[in-house]
Amino acid sequence: MTDRTRTPLRWNQHLDAPSSPGKSRLQESWDLFVSNRLAIAGFVIFLVFLCVAVLGVFLTSGTRPVCDPSLVRLEEKLRPPLSRPNLKVLRPEEVPALKVYLFGTDELGRDIFSRMLQGAWVSLTVGFVAVGISVLIGIFMGGMAGYFGQKHVRSGHVLAVLLIGTGFALLSIGRWLASLPFLIAGGIMFLFSGGYSRTGSRNSGGTSLHPVLHFPVMTVDTLIMRTVDIMLCFPSFFLILTVVAILPASMYNIMIVIGLTSWMGAARFVRAEFLSLREQDFVTAARALGVGKFRIIFRHMMPNALGPVLVSATIGIASAILTEAGLSFLGFGVPPPHATWGNILSDGKNFIFDAPWLTFIPGIAILIVVLSFNLFGEGLRDILNPKLRERP
Amino acid sequence: MLTFIGRSLIQKMVTLFFVSIVSFLIIHLAPGKPSQVNPLNPKFTPEILERFQKEFHLDKPLYVQYALFYKGLLTGKIVSWKDNRPVLRKIWNRFLNSLPLFIVGTLLTWTLSFPLGIRSAIYRGGIFDRTITFFSYLLISIPGFFFAYILIIFVVTRFHVPVIGMQTFGLVTTSWTPMAMDRVWHLLLPSVLGATGGIAILSRYVRTQMMEVEGQDYVRTAVAKGLPPDQVHYKHALRNALLPFATMFGLILPGLIGGSVIIESIFSWPGMGRMAYEAILARDYPIILTVNFISAVLVLAGTLLSDLLYLLVDPRIRL
Amino acid sequence: MTIRRILILAPTILAAFLIQSYFWVPSYEEQTRGNPARLTEYITASIGDASILNPALSADSASSQIESLVFQGLIDRNKDLRFRGRIARSWHISEEAFFYVNEKAAIPDAGTLDARNLLRFLERSRKSPPAVDKLRECLRHIQDISLLPSKDYSVTREEKPKEKEGKSRKILFDIHAPARIRLTLDRVDQDLFRTLQTLLGPDYFRSFDPTPFVKTAGNPAEEGLSKYARELLPATEHNPVIIFHLRPGIRFDDGRPVTAKDVKFTYETVMDPKNLSPRISDYEPVKNVEVVDPLTVRITYKRLYSPALSTWGIGILPEHLLNRKAMRAEAIRRGENPDTFSVRQSNFNRHPVGSGPFRFEEWKSDQFISLKRFNDYWEGPPNYKSYFFRIIPDILTQEMEFYAGTVDSYDVQPHQVARLKSDPKYQSFSGTAFGYTYIGYNMRRKPFDDVRVRRALGMAIDVNKIIKYVLYGQGERITGPFVKQTEYYNKKVKPLPYDPEGALKLLAEAGWRRGKDGWLEKDGKKLQFTLITNSGNDLRKAILAIAQDSWKQIGVNVTTDILEWSVFIENRVDKHDFDALILGWQMGIEPDLYQIWHSSQTHPYQLNFVGFKNKEADDLIIKIRQEYNYKKRVEYCHKLHAIIAREQPYTFLYVSKWTAILDKRIVIKEVDKNGHVHYRKIEPTKTGDYTYYFDKWIKLPRVPNFAQEG
Repeated sequence: MTDRTRTPLRWNQHLDAPSSPGKSRLQESWDLFVSNRLAIAGFVIFLVFLCVAVLGVFLTSGTRPVCDPSLVRLEEKLRPPLSRPNLKVLRPEEVPALKVYLFGTDELGRDIFSRMLQGAWVSLTVGFVAVGISVLIGIFMGGMAGYFGQKHVRSGHVLAVLLIGTGFALLSIGRWLASLPFLIAGGIMFLFSGGYSRTGSRNSGGTSLHPVLHFPVMTVDTLIMRTVDIMLCFPSFFLILTVVAILPASMYNIMIVIGLTSWMGAARFVRAEFLSLREQDFVTAARALGVGKFRIIFRHMMPNALGPVLVSATIGIASAILTEAGLSFLGFGVPPPHATWGNILSDGKNFIFDAPWLTFIPGIAILIVVLSFNLFGEGLRDILNPKLRERP
Repeated sequence: MLTFIGRSLIQKMVTLFFVSIVSFLIIHLAPGKPSQVNPLNPKFTPEILERFQKEFHLDKPLYVQYALFYKGLLTGKIVSWKDNRPVLRKIWNRFLNSLPLFIVGTLLTWTLSFPLGIRSAIYRGGIFDRTITFFSYLLISIPGFFFAYILIIFVVTRFHVPVIGMQTFGLVTTSWTPMAMDRVWHLLLPSVLGATGGIAILSRYVRTQMMEVEGQDYVRTAVAKGLPPDQVHYKHALRNALLPFATMFGLILPGLIGGSVIIESIFSWPGMGRMAYEAILARDYPIILTVNFISAVLVLAGTLLSDLLYLLVDPRIRL
Repeated sequence: MTIRRILILAPTILAAFLIQSYFWVPSYEEQTRGNPARLTEYITASIGDASILNPALSADSASSQIESLVFQGLIDRNKDLRFRGRIARSWHISEEAFFYVNEKAAIPDAGTLDARNLLRFLERSRKSPPAVDKLRECLRHIQDISLLPSKDYSVTREEKPKEKEGKSRKILFDIHAPARIRLTLDRVDQDLFRTLQTLLGPDYFRSFDPTPFVKTAGNPAEEGLSKYARELLPATEHNPVIIFHLRPGIRFDDGRPVTAKDVKFTYETVMDPKNLSPRISDYEPVKNVEVVDPLTVRITYKRLYSPALSTWGIGILPEHLLNRKAMRAEAIRRGENPDTFSVRQSNFNRHPVGSGPFRFEEWKSDQFISLKRFNDYWEGPPNYKSYFFRIIPDILTQEMEFYAGTVDSYDVQPHQVARLKSDPKYQSFSGTAFGYTYIGYNMRRKPFDDVRVRRALGMAIDVNKIIKYVLYGQGERITGPFVKQTEYYNKKVKPLPYDPEGALKLLAEAGWRRGKDGWLEKDGKKLQFTLITNSGNDLRKAILAIAQDSWKQIGVNVTTDILEWSVFIENRVDKHDFDALILGWQMGIEPDLYQIWHSSQTHPYQLNFVGFKNKEADDLIIKIRQEYNYKKRVEYCHKLHAIIAREQPYTFLYVSKWTAILDKRIVIKEVDKNGHVHYRKIEPTKTGDYTYYFDKWIKLPRVPNFAQEG
């Protein structure tokens, strides 16, 4: 039989051979991961960056650090990478650690290498934490909307949320004694509103205190999707501007805000995937077997839906770091003189022709981080989803 | 179907109302006052500032201001605080400027991403795939202004033609074709730059979807049956891979009212993005609120459209 | 397969279509060299768009740039920064001074006099003045003395409520004003009454008690009544008067002549509260504007106010296009409410008509504004046929357009100057700007209340290095709050030297010594504070970093922060919630520093946010405001400059230099009496203004040789 296809679809004996019962899932996953060279490479590079970031924090902090990121040497401005310092003009403590400007200097004569080291930790945390928050929220919301879409939110639930909400508000003011009855009442209301039963059927069979509490307000799907709509309606830039201006300008606030404003895409993707996956046979089978709802969602359906989520996570890392650059351009990022990769980028905007390395070096650093995460992510996806596995 | 549409419309209206309140609150919560009310100019005495406050109704309670704003918005009489021009007219003019940029950019994005993504998925792991992956992430990691400057310098020094603005400034002809072609030329560079980011991202999604579909059993069956590869990929795999993109299509709508500030600044393009950005910095509340409102309407319309498309396109969905 | 073909064809066709448009576009060569009309156009580039093209209402610099070409004022400044007449041919400043007859005061050599006798006494003293020099000089300038009889009238005043929520109430006052003497002088003399006291006795004016002449049915407190009385019946009053004689034959763009009515109308437009003009404070001291005849305007002021003359550089608006009748007609045409329609909403602001050398042609929002020359301009039409104001928000693309020849001038940045100065195709001009950058210290907070600390902090920063490396040499040191090119600036005051050791010594004097960890401390507290500035300004960001580093070297621990402009102003500056900040001022030539330096302006939302309070400085500021004699003003300014430099409430950093680059082919073209054309190079005036002769500029196809230059 001639091979009429030009696309390479070959039988992978090693991976698709039936595995003996002795090999556990963990072992299989590990084998898979190890055999994927690129994934290993990605993971290793990522670890290297992490170590460099941690090291960087130690090397650049304190009053007389080894690599000083904020030392201003006006005579040495805009020196290209790998240039030697002009020893005649500098005082001995101003000479950089390795006697050479590894990555050059910026417009105030500060050593870019030290600044990159200082900024590595901040930029990496901003990237990963922001994306982590957005992906987690997105997956959760999308999963809920996709799976529980038709369940109704009862009026009792709404009341319960209101009560608990006022309870928390009172708690935050400090009147915890007054908040207790609200919290307790809310909890009881929630229990008695029903709507959740072990069998997962459409109409709940739980006890209901009062028919009024049982009134269906809207579906879970509607609720979550409308929330997504509302969040989409606000330009994230303005939201971030407002929040960052109100709260003190710290790195953590920025990360949380960026994360809280970018989960909508992931949620929509996951919901879309879930809507089609829900009707598939393996889900019906799992339900018939009596597998619990949350286990079905997170253990069986989620790995299939992760493809687009991983792509958006990878892109999200770069975009989070660049958003931080945009914010520091406006003056809302990490306060100076603390360097971040985004800082260096936005400061170098005016000197594109005189000093292109100010844009290139942080850009390439971001690129390497993103690429390594991408490779790692693809390896991860191969483990989780056999259908996407590379068929060599 | 009709009940679905009807129900959705009502829900969207309620959401719109809610959004209008929240955006109004956010704008007033944001610190900083409109630049006319608080300039650092020795000539502005406290009496003048008070008068400006009165004129802008800033001394009234919030719900009165809310009512006044939306009354002005819906009757079309709302005026910008910067120069007293009617806001709706301003937005319309800028919208007409941004529209061709948006259309060409979207066309470029969608027509280029699919071939690239599909080919990447089919020849997964090959040279093409690796190069495209590398360039996609390069485009995402290095900010847009860098490429914009490089491109402008290249074109200007090599070809000695103007690239900025919506049309060539010193154009003297009045005949239709050269003027139209001149406009098209000025559209080229900014839309290409605007599209590159979109192409990078969209092609990654296309690739992922294609890969997922290619891994399915029915594709394997088709190959085993001996179908020609084109039929396998384009007739069977591609159609199923396209489902999510049908819904993404609906979400293009909000892009109408947006626009990249950086690209518009670099190319001196008088578009929506720059106007909205400057309005935010100057706290020109009428413009900010109107743009927000219109963009909310578009977002809600876009999500409605994409929900509908999804219903239509995927036979497996049952609402 | 068809799908595949579509997938490949669609982008290729699109790309091909887009790329072929390249061949239709005229290249830069065609636009500049191939286009002879280009030589008669002057194109300038700007980052921001204008907002309102109405000199009475606009406040931003782009609008003022256009207004200076389309409109013209009564006067402006000449090469030496003195006033020269534009619409006004000449002007005359005099004064009317008033004082109430004080029948209770005893005059030396005459006893108490009633109104009529006082008048005779004054006339006699004028005719044969006493031997005191100052008094003789003063009386010589009095041209007329007249008696205004006693008057009865009523006046209402609004009393501002004590608490925020209270309502203000109106109080009616019945006044029986005593007789008043009016002295008409031919010059303005702020010491007039002090000098007259040698004639009338030292207590004549001081002892005048207006309270018995004021009655009210309302109920202000006892001190309240005398406060109102003193305001309603001031013992002495200066009313300076300016008379402008207008040039005949000046017309607006639409052909109508410019008359005194238009001047009065411009004043009324600015003062109308509906128009929200930012220039109201400039004209607030005006008592009344009178049209004596179509070519003469008489402006009377309520009190001494020497910046008055400079305020009449404002562009004069055409009354016939903006008066009530025209506004109502426009409102009806546009479907607006005619009763509330104000000049601010008029379409005139988008299509102005003025009497300047250029007339308005077209304005495409955020793209360009085009002006064409006004052929009936009274000084002769300018040489350039048209003027284009292009809006290009990005400085790098501005530079590119300049190189390509489609822009004649733009805002050159310091780091570009070096590149362009050495290019033989261009000529460059530099001058210092009107404004300065500084570090301001909040004097209400420790340790900034100690002048030694402020001086020491200033000495620790090497400003010359900042100018050399950050500004690329495009700046100059500045030591005080006046414009460096004017004579008001005291050149004798030396800038603070860069002396970290000296700084440490000063700080040690103030009690700050280095602790074990290297930071300065006093009584266990470290010397640390926060330095803030606004975002969007790279120079200030650089200074922030440099200042922090310099202060670190002498042991001061400084944290820095950058805030967005509105937040910066609203939350920190206006509420006085800062330690130190970096800001800049842009000023006019008039040395009126009241709002920035007077101690009464130190409340929240006012401009003396550093809290500078110095009695001597306050006196000088008021004196400067009221002094009309140029030499005396200069003297006062020098003294004020020295005081401020000594107290160092600001560390004055630098004044930036602007550089303008022009194509060498732009020259001044003049036609002499015989019709011969002469070309000469553009040269900046003494004060650095190179656009002084803008009307005479023209661009030639080739650089001429200036053989005719004398």
